[in-house]
Amino acid sequence: MDNQEFSRISGVPPARPVVRRLRRLAAVKIDFHLLVLVLSLCLYGLAALYSASDGDNGLVRRQAFIVGLGGVAMLAVAQVDMRLIRRATFYVYLGGLALLGLVLWAGVEANGARSWLDLPGLPSFQPSELMKIIVPATLAWYLSERPFPPRLWQIIVACLLVLVPTALVVLQNDLGTALLVAMAGFFVLLLAGMSLKLIAAGGLLALLASPLWYIFFALEHQRNRILSFINPYTDPAGAGYNIIQSQIAIGSGGVYGKGFGEGDQSRLDFIPESNTDFIFAVIAEEFGLAGALVLIGLYVLLLARGLLIAVNARNMFARLLAGGIVLIVFFNVYVNMAMVVGLLPVIGLPLPLISRGGTAIIALFVGFGLLMSIDAHSRGSPSPRN
Amino acid sequence: MTGRWHFRDHQAERRLFNRRVVLASSVVFLLLAALVGRLVNLQVVQYEYFSARSDGNRLHVQYVPPQRGVIYDRSGTLLADNLPVYNLTIVPEEVNDLAATLDYLSDLVELGENDIETFENQLRRGRVPYSSVPLRYVLTEDEKYRVAVNSHRLPGVSMEPQLMRHYPFDSLTAHSVGYVSHINQQELDALDETEFENYGGTTHIGKTGVERTYEHLLHGRVGYETVEKNNRGRVMRVLESTEAVAGNDIALHLDHRLQMATEAALGNYRGAVVAIEPETGGILAMVSKPGFDPNLFVTGISGRDYGVLVTDEVNTPLFDRSVNPYPPGSTVKPFLGLAGLHLGFVDYEFTIDDPGYFQLPGVSYRWNNYTMRTAIGGGHGITDLRRAIYQSSDTFFYDLGHRMGIDAMHDFMSLFGFGGNLALDIGYARTGVLPSRDWKMETRGEPWFPGDTINSSIGQGYMWATPLQLATAATLIANEGRMVRPRMLKSVNGEPYLFEEEFAAADVVLEDADYWRYMRDAMTMVVHRPYSNIFRDYGTAYEAIARADPDMTYQIAGKTGTAQVVGISQNIRSSAEIRVSEQNKDHALFIAFAPAGHPLIDPRIALAVFVENGEHGSTVAGPVAKRITDAWLLDILQLDLTVEPEPEPAPLRGPLPREPSEVAALDG
Repeated sequence: MDNQEFSRISGVPPARPVVRRLRRLAAVKIDFHLLVLVLSLCLYGLAALYSASDGDNGLVRRQAFIVGLGGVAMLAVAQVDMRLIRRATFYVYLGGLALLGLVLWAGVEANGARSWLDLPGLPSFQPSELMKIIVPATLAWYLSERPFPPRLWQIIVACLLVLVPTALVVLQNDLGTALLVAMAGFFVLLLAGMSLKLIAAGGLLALLASPLWYIFFALEHQRNRILSFINPYTDPAGAGYNIIQSQIAIGSGGVYGKGFGEGDQSRLDFIPESNTDFIFAVIAEEFGLAGALVLIGLYVLLLARGLLIAVNARNMFARLLAGGIVLIVFFNVYVNMAMVVGLLPVIGLPLPLISRGGTAIIALFVGFGLLMSIDAHSRGSPSPRN
Repeated sequence: MTGRWHFRDHQAERRLFNRRVVLASSVVFLLLAALVGRLVNLQVVQYEYFSARSDGNRLHVQYVPPQRGVIYDRSGTLLADNLPVYNLTIVPEEVNDLAATLDYLSDLVELGENDIETFENQLRRGRVPYSSVPLRYVLTEDEKYRVAVNSHRLPGVSMEPQLMRHYPFDSLTAHSVGYVSHINQQELDALDETEFENYGGTTHIGKTGVERTYEHLLHGRVGYETVEKNNRGRVMRVLESTEAVAGNDIALHLDHRLQMATEAALGNYRGAVVAIEPETGGILAMVSKPGFDPNLFVTGISGRDYGVLVTDEVNTPLFDRSVNPYPPGSTVKPFLGLAGLHLGFVDYEFTIDDPGYFQLPGVSYRWNNYTMRTAIGGGHGITDLRRAIYQSSDTFFYDLGHRMGIDAMHDFMSLFGFGGNLALDIGYARTGVLPSRDWKMETRGEPWFPGDTINSSIGQGYMWATPLQLATAATLIANEGRMVRPRMLKSVNGEPYLFEEEFAAADVVLEDADYWRYMRDAMTMVVHRPYSNIFRDYGTAYEAIARADPDMTYQIAGKTGTAQVVGISQNIRSSAEIRVSEQNKDHALFIAFAPAGHPLIDPRIALAVFVENGEHGSTVAGPVAKRITDAWLLDILQLDLTVEPEPEPAPLRGPLPREPSEVAALDG
């Protein structure tokens, strides 16, 4: 964006370069509500990680470093102007697809999913995690260009935009992330006003198709997860072990928990994947119902703040983007927690901002940076067209 | 593109969006309600249940096996102690893939087929769930290191320190002290409820010998501890514990030096020796050769090693010869002689004229004297009881036995422990056979024939006795009838041990106490009566013992015995005439006590020597006994037995020696 354009859109007379620089410095765009919430969650997460990793300082320090890196990314993204973001979105989407393609071609496998990209000169990362933010942004860009509510053929195009990266992630054998990518697209469509009848019809179709999936397509471990969700005690030492042990951890935490570092289930390694997918069980064991509710409360406040930003946003792109980001983050949180407490089958998803992670955390911070940018944009001088 | 914006109803769009936000928020609210409801259900409603489950996960009550008491010999030398070792153990419930784990472990430590076989056997037998099962015993330092480094890849596998039974003298005490080995199912089943609990943490139990007899003293009392384990079954900390009570340390009468001397004395022969201290009845040495290494059984003997031990049909190393019966042969003669004196069938004056055989009235069959099988043939001529002992006249005892009858013989011999077990704590000893009319009817379904009595009179036929029984009987003569029952156990935790049964034992009382002295002198002549110009008038063991050691400072009272393994036709005059396979050769026996007839010192050792297929009681078993008495009296007790004023052998009283002329007449 050049100086002229900025002046035209904001209504601010073009400033001399030095003044402009000073003004920008004074007006760093930060949403303090969001910042405090995100940092609180990250601190909570570091504490939980410290306990879950049995005092592994290296692990916690690495996580803190990534959180710091993410914070910088968040603040950087927050400074970028909305319109630039909107214009860049489709190219970023294409770039993201290229990276996913690269993963299929040269990806590195870890924990059964071939989702890592280890490019020379860069730390290894997961392009699929970035798609959780890129896909809602792309849909927001696509739909905001067109009248609302979207028409059927637009929905079909939007679905294609979602399905291509989703399919690529499925090919990586990372179903959890694929689900998130797909759901991110769905949330944008939902917020964009897609017909509820259509959504209901889609839901019904998915419901009817699921037995077919179970019979014909589901892999052995996926079937086991479904079976152990229905009754974990059919195979308590195998498929049901994780869910049984995490429920024991949560239940034995009681109202106030066993205390920091005192969780017997996590301390003695009975909780599987206690650093990642099942870290909520560690929190619920050590800090009890109270600690779990505090965590849930923080996420709810984050969701509320995000939705507020979305509602207050200037234009449809910003609204859909903000709403899409915040809903997919919350969806991720919810699916993880519901899985840990046994409300949903085990799906390999980490708990956002709490679980150990790299790309996932950076992607989240970028998402929050976008929220901040939207917030700043909507707080700026009113748009001439509004 | 911006142009299109003019046609859009921004307010409508915003309203639509806001409605959708409200819709989403409502769904979120419902979902959150479900989540919180679930949390409340888990953490409040089911708190007690999950709390208990959590404790059940991590808290385990485990047994602390007591330290087994050690076994000392009489000199305070350890015969059985406990060595600290590290064993590789597996909790099968905590292993994901047992086969893969075993495969992986086989790269880290040496795992023989036997280790895996024993391990799998233990898996099959009933055991406490989540208890560890030993896979490999006694890890080396390198193996410990390799397992420790890879422990993260080996859930359910751990190295457990254990005190392992160890027998420092290896085969020397294999039979007498015995060994411990893994408890088997029958042994577990045999335990009552409290004892079963007491053996909760115990892997080994006494299987043979003293280890088995005194299992109740050695084992101790089990302890308990509540431990916290992680998900791989590793103990993280001990929360509370009840100490185990270690077993009692016991000391035996056994002397390891005499035991070694005895083993050496037997040389390469198969056989057994039991030596008893007459004053206490304490068993000084108890050897069965060949032995085996009892330590093999502690760690679980390999099938191959065990196969070697059990398939050796000649040496049968596992077979304890000291408590198993053999035909005692002529070693029973002193007891029959005492019976004859006591019951009045003979007196000091009584003689027979021994033609070299015995015939029952009206029966043509001849029971030959052993002399008939020598080149010279013939008998002993005029023979009294004493000569019948030192020359070992069969004919004399054929006659005595025949006149005495089996009933009197049985009753008198049983006083000396034949046919029974006088030992206080060797319950596993066999009782042999002291035949009687009832016994024969019961076991053979046949009446007793007079000929049976004749055979029994020289310790053949149906009569079988163990080396332990012979040593016990010899002890009674050494003690002149005072009953001290043989025992292994000397003290418990340093306190002398008193047997309750001790007071129930009855002394052997003879009509005339002088019979004891008479028999002692006769037995002394077996060893010390030298050659003279009288035909067949020397002691049967004189050549091999007294003559072989002219510097002997003390006297041994003994009796030789040569027991036939297979019946040899009475028509064959010389044993050299028949080809006898090694295992069919006669057994050589010798019973003895020493010093005999010493003016100041009572007998300090009584013993029985059994040499399997040794052929000659005099020349083979006799010197073995001499080496043992030398070791005990001279080397170990270091007694000064020299009798200054009387250079000759002990003075002999009674009617012998006869007039030379009378004896000379016998030579014809």
